[in-house]
Amino acid sequence: MVNTTESAPPAPPKGRKILVVDDERLNQRILGAILRPEGYEIIEADSAEKALELYAVHTPDLVLMDVLLPGINGFAACRELRNRYGNNAAPVIFITAKSDSEDVVEGLAAGGIDYLPKPIRPKEAVARIRTHLQIRRLLAEQQLLVDQLSKANAAKNRFLGMAAHDLRNPLASIRGLAEFLRDGVVGPMTPDQVDLINTIHSASQEMLLMVDELLDVAAIEAGELKISPEATDLVEIVTKSIYLANIEAAKKQTKIILTPSERPPQRRLDPNKIRQVVDNLLSNAVKYSPPGSTINVEVSFQKGSLVFAVRDQGPGIPESDRHKLFKDFGRTSVRPTAGEKSTGLGLAICRKIVEAHNGTITAENQPERGCIFRVSLPS
Amino acid sequence: MAFTGKILLIDDEPHVRKYVGLLARGLGTPVIIEADNGEKALALYEQESPDLVLLDVNLPGMDGLQILAAILALDPDAVVIMLTSLANRQTIEECLRLGATSYIRKDTPKEVVFAELSAVVAENLKYN
Repeated sequence: MVNTTESAPPAPPKGRKILVVDDERLNQRILGAILRPEGYEIIEADSAEKALELYAVHTPDLVLMDVLLPGINGFAACRELRNRYGNNAAPVIFITAKSDSEDVVEGLAAGGIDYLPKPIRPKEAVARIRTHLQIRRLLAEQQLLVDQLSKANAAKNRFLGMAAHDLRNPLASIRGLAEFLRDGVVGPMTPDQVDLINTIHSASQEMLLMVDELLDVAAIEAGELKISPEATDLVEIVTKSIYLANIEAAKKQTKIILTPSERPPQRRLDPNKIRQVVDNLLSNAVKYSPPGSTINVEVSFQKGSLVFAVRDQGPGIPESDRHKLFKDFGRTSVRPTAGEKSTGLGLAICRKIVEAHNGTITAENQPERGCIFRVSLPS
Repeated sequence: MAFTGKILLIDDEPHVRKYVGLLARGLGTPVIIEADNGEKALALYEQESPDLVLLDVNLPGMDGLQILAAILALDPDAVVIMLTSLANRQTIEECLRLGATSYIRKDTPKEVVFAELSAVVAENLKYN
C-alpha cells in the first residue's frame, strides 16, 4: 500500500511486493518463477485467511488471488480487503481456472481489477501485472498532487483571509477621515477639494466592499460558513433591504417595488446571511438595469418552499456566460449601466449561502428583456 | 447635550485613533487620552479614571479581552465599548459576557458608529 500523504515519489516497479494466494504448491512455484526474475518480492499464502493476515503485515502492492481456496474463497477475501482498506487496498487480480464469464463478472464485482486465466501464460501475466502496478503508481501520484493542491488552496484562503482582514481597518479609517474632511469638520473645502475627497471616499468604499467579499469567500472556502438559523420573517428582511436599496436606486431614477402577496409563514433561516443574499440581488438588479427602470420583487410560498424573486430590466444573461454566473470571480460580459463596480464574487457568495440553507438559486431570462433571479428555500 | 467627560481610547493603529477620536469629539467636548497598548492603557486608567473607554479587540501584547478584564478588576462599573473590525461573534460575546457595555464595528459607516457611541453615552453616563 502506498502512503499517499508522504511527498516521497512512489517506488519503481522493481522491488514491489506481490502477495500470491494459492493453495497449490505447484501454482505458487510457477508464479514465483515468473515474477521473481522481474524483480518483484513474492509473499506466499495458501489460504484467504492467511492472505489477510500477511496483507496486514506486508502491505503488498498487488494481490494475485486464486478463486477456489480452502476456507473462504478468493472473492470473499477480495471483498474483505476492500472492506478493511477501502480505496487504498492493493489491486487484486484473480487467477481463474476457467475464464468463464460468470467467474470473471463475480470477480470484478467483488472488487477485483483483472483476471488471469489458468494455465498462466508468463508474458501475459508479467505484462498485466506491470500495467496494474503502473496504474496504481499513477493514481498515487495523482492523489499526492490533489493533496498538495488542496493544502495550497487552504493556505491561499488563509492568506486571503488575513490580508483582507488587515486591509479593512486602514480602509475604514480612510473612508471615515475623508467624510470628516468633506463635511468640513476641520475647516471649509473648495469645490475642487470636495471633488477629490469624494473620489477618495468612493474608492475606499468600493475597496472595502471588495475586501469584505474576499473575506466572505475565504471564510466560505475554508468551510467557515456557519448558518445560525432562527425563526425569520423573510418579508420583513426584504422590506428593509428594499428601503435601503431604493436610496441607492434613486440616484439612477430606478425604483424597487415589492409586489404585495400573502405573508408566508416564518422560517428558520440565518437572517444575516439571507439579508446578504437579498441585498446582493437587489443591488445587482439596480446595477444592471438601465436608469429609470422598475425592479419587481416578490416573496411567495410555493410547494412548501419560500421563494424570493427579483425581476430586473437589464439585458439578461447571455447564454455563453451562464456557466460563469454563480462562480467565484465569474464576471459576465454584461456591464453595470452607471459605471458601478463588480468583483464577480457576489453571486458566488449568494449561491454558497443559499446552498448552506439547502436551497437553490437560479437566473432565468425573460422573453422580452430582463432577468429573474429566484431563491428557493425549502422547509 | 454635550459630553464633556474623559475618554480613554485604546488602539494600536494611529489612523484608527485619529478617526475614532474625531467621532468621539462629535459627542461634545470630551477630553480624549490615548494609549496604543494594554500596559499604558491600564496606567492611564488608574491615573485619569476616565468616564468612557473605547477599547480595540485586536492588540499586540495584552489583547482587548485581557485589558477589559483588567479594567473591570480595577473598576467594576467601568463603561467600556469594544472596537472591532469584523463581526467576530465569539470574541464580542465573550467581551459582553465579561462586562463590556457595547461594541462598535469600526468598518461600519461613520453615522452608524456615531449613533452607537451616542446611545451608549446617553444610557450610561451622566451629563454635566
